[in-house]
Amino acid sequence: MKKLILLALLIFSSISYSQTELPEIILKDLNGKKVTLSELSKDKPVVFSFWATWCTPCMKELDAIKLDYNELQEEIGFELYAIATDDARSKPRVKTEVNGRAWPYTVLLDKKNEIIRYLGNPNIPLTLIVKDNKIVYRHSSFTPGAEEELYEEYKKHI
Amino acid sequence: MKNYLLLAALVIAFNINAQDGTFSGGLESNSQWYQDDDGILNGVAPQDQFRSNNYLKIQYTQGKFTVGAQYELYQPSPLLGYFEGFEGNGIATYFATFKHKDLEITAGNFYDQFGSGLIFRTWEDHTLGIDNSIRGIRVNYAFNDYLEATGFIGNQRTGFELSEGTVQGINSEFDLGELLDTETGINIGASYVGRYQVNTSADPDFPSTVNAYSMRGDLYFDKFNLQAEYVYKEPDAVIVGGTPLLGNYFDGRALLLNLGYSIPGLGINTTLRATENMGFFSDREQAGNPFLNQTINFVPGYTKQSSYMVRNIYVYNPQVFLNPDEEEAGEIGGQLDVVHTAKPGSLFGFKHGTTYSLNYSNWAGLDSSFDVPNNDYDASLFSRGKKYFEEFSFQLNTKFSKALSAKFTAAQTYYNAKNIEGGNLLDGQSELNGTAFVADLLYDLGKGRSVRFDAQHLSADADRGNWAAATLEYAFNTSLSLYVADLYNYDDTEIHYYSVGGSYTKGRTRVALNYGRQRGGLICVGGVCRFVPENTGLTLNLTTNF
Repeated sequence: MKKLILLALLIFSSISYSQTELPEIILKDLNGKKVTLSELSKDKPVVFSFWATWCTPCMKELDAIKLDYNELQEEIGFELYAIATDDARSKPRVKTEVNGRAWPYTVLLDKKNEIIRYLGNPNIPLTLIVKDNKIVYRHSSFTPGAEEELYEEYKKHI
Repeated sequence: MKNYLLLAALVIAFNINAQDGTFSGGLESNSQWYQDDDGILNGVAPQDQFRSNNYLKIQYTQGKFTVGAQYELYQPSPLLGYFEGFEGNGIATYFATFKHKDLEITAGNFYDQFGSGLIFRTWEDHTLGIDNSIRGIRVNYAFNDYLEATGFIGNQRTGFELSEGTVQGINSEFDLGELLDTETGINIGASYVGRYQVNTSADPDFPSTVNAYSMRGDLYFDKFNLQAEYVYKEPDAVIVGGTPLLGNYFDGRALLLNLGYSIPGLGINTTLRATENMGFFSDREQAGNPFLNQTINFVPGYTKQSSYMVRNIYVYNPQVFLNPDEEEAGEIGGQLDVVHTAKPGSLFGFKHGTTYSLNYSNWAGLDSSFDVPNNDYDASLFSRGKKYFEEFSFQLNTKFSKALSAKFTAAQTYYNAKNIEGGNLLDGQSELNGTAFVADLLYDLGKGRSVRFDAQHLSADADRGNWAAATLEYAFNTSLSLYVADLYNYDDTEIHYYSVGGSYTKGRTRVALNYGRQRGGLICVGGVCRFVPENTGLTLNLTTNF
């Protein structure tokens, strides 16, 4: 345990929380079409929300943002990609939930958890604001009101 | 110590180069201090009262190269219910990847999945204590926009060691929709996976190599989507009590079908699956081990997952292995899922809109007959024998006002313990019928503050009878929240499984502290379950990513 703490300190002291760049990854959308992740955030901020059909707070977050989405899109060009981390078990349910809940987002599938693993296996819901493929804001967990903080943060990066 | 030095050297090396490349990783620490507690079923704390599972992952990318390693420490021993082979500490996984244009080569530990995973999947899940990554070589090449292939060979991880068996595989993905440039998405895939393990038995016909093949197709047409996958696995020895039976060897097969229809506001999906003898392990003698150690494929249970306490007592655990002791050859079944959102102001949408979810699942064993003395059996993939599990659940999600939202759940469950758990329930019965109701209210107090309350009830006609539960959770802001919860078996044992705790999340870091009683049973994540013995204690979870 002592070793681990020492090691963690060593790492933290040396990394000044540099902006993490996302890897070059191609994901598929709900129609089986390929989407290159890095192209989505070229010259503009976008939100990547990592979720799964079994994750209740994730669903709450995306349901909450849905209510403001159209207005935000018109006002500040707000754009959110909902990246499903569902594995083979719940992947069939992704499209059912997305359409059943009438979500206005583009949904991508990270079924092998490539990005999640790259990010160090964080807890979901995980919400990122990404610009030019670099993470500029990061928040995990969701309680009501967190969406307002996200909008405020987004405006800073336009 | 050697590991420690190596890791320190890695860190220093990263620091020197960190200006040019990208550095990422994470630290996760899950610790528990177990307490003696007369108030629960088996309340004696284990010998090592303090146990801790820790994972430190670091990864560095520069240009075409990525290198990474994960250091794990289970001190003095892993948390209860985890594979004992994790005891100790060391660098558990490491890798180096070269990626240039359409070529990707990895040496070291890698994770991958072919199709739905029915033939091959390696993954990592700290909650379940699963990491079946393969250490070896993996090459992926995209020939063009519509054709790519993957090949690999290596040995699976088991604790801090490697499996005896060698696994190899080839996968190809063909994107016909891209080639024809159609709106319709058409993906076709074919895979091969083989396992080799030395034959130590007296039988010259004993299968040391077991190959498996799969074909699949995904079709996305307008509002419809259709997926089909078939796997065939060559004959392998049946394992009873950790020992292979000689003389007869049996092949396995599985068919998975998925059909979905969705339009904005409505989604419908059905999944059907039949499996016969689909256990597939690097080390054949590990077949059916409770930790899914050295499993090559992934055969999850297709049922609705729930986070409510009373909905997690009787959950389905798939029965896909050949098990002569219990006369099980496989299973057949499926689930239907419907989600509908009624618009605000409509008849069923009420004032603020309402989402309805419905799920039905039904699983049964294959109709099979066993001749145990002669190590033989007979079964058909498309037959139904004894019913294992059936569940109907309904959920309604609505808002009473802008601040108050509610979720109501009702579920009816049939649970065949004899086949799912391999034994009878506490009261000697083998089957159980349960009815659960949950009301969950969330009140938004503004400025990030909110309060959540749920009340839960399960009435069951066997085992420990009826249960009641409640949770109260308060969020002070979007970072800090506290909760108290109790699950009460008022009908039989009169045990309160109480817990109290809180969590703090800021940016990349989350800390959660919790004290209470854990009901013994299956903990399931993604349709895969781990058994946890009943315990009481103080738990600390820490995760941070960098």
